[in-house]
Amino acid sequence: MTDQSDLRHLPEAIAVPRQRARVSAVWIIPILAALVALGIVIHRVWSEGPTITILFDAAQGIEAGKTFVKYKDVKIGQVTAVQLSEEPGKVEVTARIARSAAGLLVEDAQFWVVRPRIGLSEISGLATLLSGNYIGFEAGTSRNERRSFTGLEVPRIVSANAPGREFLLKARDVRWSSAGAPVYYRRVPVGQVVAYDLAPDGKAVDIKLFINAPYDKYVSSETRFWDVSGLDISVDTSGVELRSTSLEALIGGGVAFDTPAYADPPAPAVDGTPFTLYRDRTTAMRHPDAVATPYVLHFDESLQGLSVGAPVTFLGIPAGEVTEVGLSYDAATLDVRPRVAIILYADRLLEKFPSNLKKGRAVVQRLVEKRGLRAQLRSVNLLTGKRYVALDYFADAPRARLDLRREPLELPVVVSTMPDLEAKLASLLAKLDRLPLESIGADLKNALETLDQTMKNVDKTLPGVQTTLEEARRAIASVDRLATNADTTLIGPNAPAQQELRDALQEVTAAARALRVLADSIERHPESLIRGRLEKE
Amino acid sequence: MALSAAEAGLVACQSCGLLSRSPGEQLSRCPRCGAGLASRQRYSIQRTWALAIAAAICYVPANLLPVLTTQTLASSRSDTILSGVAVLYTSGSWPLALIVLVASVMIPLGKLAALAYLLLSVRLGSANGARDRTRLYRMIELIGRWSMLDVFVVTFVVALIQFQPLMASQPGPGLPFFAAVVILTMLATTSFDPRLIWDAAHD
Repeated sequence: MTDQSDLRHLPEAIAVPRQRARVSAVWIIPILAALVALGIVIHRVWSEGPTITILFDAAQGIEAGKTFVKYKDVKIGQVTAVQLSEEPGKVEVTARIARSAAGLLVEDAQFWVVRPRIGLSEISGLATLLSGNYIGFEAGTSRNERRSFTGLEVPRIVSANAPGREFLLKARDVRWSSAGAPVYYRRVPVGQVVAYDLAPDGKAVDIKLFINAPYDKYVSSETRFWDVSGLDISVDTSGVELRSTSLEALIGGGVAFDTPAYADPPAPAVDGTPFTLYRDRTTAMRHPDAVATPYVLHFDESLQGLSVGAPVTFLGIPAGEVTEVGLSYDAATLDVRPRVAIILYADRLLEKFPSNLKKGRAVVQRLVEKRGLRAQLRSVNLLTGKRYVALDYFADAPRARLDLRREPLELPVVVSTMPDLEAKLASLLAKLDRLPLESIGADLKNALETLDQTMKNVDKTLPGVQTTLEEARRAIASVDRLATNADTTLIGPNAPAQQELRDALQEVTAAARALRVLADSIERHPESLIRGRLEKE
Repeated sequence: MALSAAEAGLVACQSCGLLSRSPGEQLSRCPRCGAGLASRQRYSIQRTWALAIAAAICYVPANLLPVLTTQTLASSRSDTILSGVAVLYTSGSWPLALIVLVASVMIPLGKLAALAYLLLSVRLGSANGARDRTRLYRMIELIGRWSMLDVFVVTFVVALIQFQPLMASQPGPGLPFFAAVVILTMLATTSFDPRLIWDAAHD
């Protein structure tokens, strides 16, 4: 067994007095671990927000576990499941929303899928090309919580919380291609077209605009809205005008608004009252014409180039417009005549024009009967062929009476100057037509051909001519020499020819003298010609 | 059966190996190197239990929480260890999946089970298979540190894959728990005194 003496050699351990704990301190570690794990679990449960379901038409680009729900570009949740809905043709997307955003899930909250959209007027969601689609979210203002939603197919354009106001417009039609078209105020983009849709009755288009604060205060009850889409090409009495607000509006369309200067002190616009969307600025800003008096004109000529809406001028001032272009049939005379209905805004011309109907008519009667007021069709310009109605004084016009009983009043007309011009032009053209242009052309052609031939011949004979010329030159040189010789022989003072000539001349003189003597003697004694000369009479 | 040092009133220093006489029930220090002496590691059973339980607690979040979050341009994904194994397996590299599964899931679990078995057998004073149990103990002591591989891999990945904004990776909340599991099981293993196995066999 134990050998005590051996063990005594071993050194004795140093005793350390200390109280003994029954439980080791190491138990703190599992407790700590448990606390941390519990903390995580509690945190998880606590931060776990509600689970919601959203119905979409299609789950394009939505994947469970990968697609996020974002509000103001902050992730507030994640899609946990995508499955077909019980509602046919729909997709149900389940998403877990962070607890912090749970309060935003109210009745009018909206969800839509953000994916790249490349339209004519907008390119949006390009970031999703890289990051993948996500579900956009817009908080509502309601207080009632909700857990199942229907997603929008078209993303919201304006955040519901954005400061500003929404306005409703009514239009005959829209020219832009997508919602999101800009709204301009003095060419500054101040808002957007949020949505547009057919009116419930299908007879107009309802357009919703959103105008950002603080610009919404410029919209008053008197504000006019007009369409600035595309190019405005207007042809009127002032010529051709071409307008476009901006390149963006040119392509994608847009709406502009302004308040006319003449408007009453602007009252703030009433919510929900629809404004009218006018065709263009001119129409929109036109003074609301209080008194529009209709008149009828019976022309005796073609109405070609005259359209509804064409201007009516009074002494050159725009005073109204054509409202109707048509024909009228007179059963009594079996006559069909062009009939043009116009309206005149008298108050646009004169502030103090009698508003009394009878008095106004009296004025018109005086103008027609005394001053010779007549309507005439005129051409805006010859190129476009557009025509308008001009009211002018024609002092030498045949007298006319205004039948005050007729309703509406029929104004007398004068034939436009245009037909004459046209006729003249036509006859000129006819004359031109009659010119034997073809035979002239043919003759000309023949002549030219002959000329051509001649020229060619000349070309051929030219070398001969050259030799001829050479010979001629030589001949001339000989002549020259000859002349020089002649000079010395004939002209010089001592030239033998001259000497001889002188002698010859003296001979001639002598001969002439003899002749004269002969002549005298014959005169005196004509008988001598027969009898001979009588010696010494 | 051979005489044990404890029965002879002797105690060996765990640091320098000096054998000295025990002063009885009291705590003592080594006369040569001054290290604390104990005939059996004090609170060995308790400490091992505590550490093993802590490790078991940490094992749950370590496997449920993601250990690695990778972000690419298109998406961001968080992986737990098990989902990582699944990804590896489905992408065809099943040997890698097996390695991760064994090193990161099975080994910590096996270690905890082995420790529990050793502790219970000591508690119950089982004398059977003491040699096998000692071998098991040596094995878990040897194998434990390899589980740390996962932590190192994640650390490297996070440090190296940082190509903002194309790709980035971040450690997940599960990683500290996983590291805690590995460290706690290692500590639990070392705090277990294998001599206790033989004490029971001695009686």
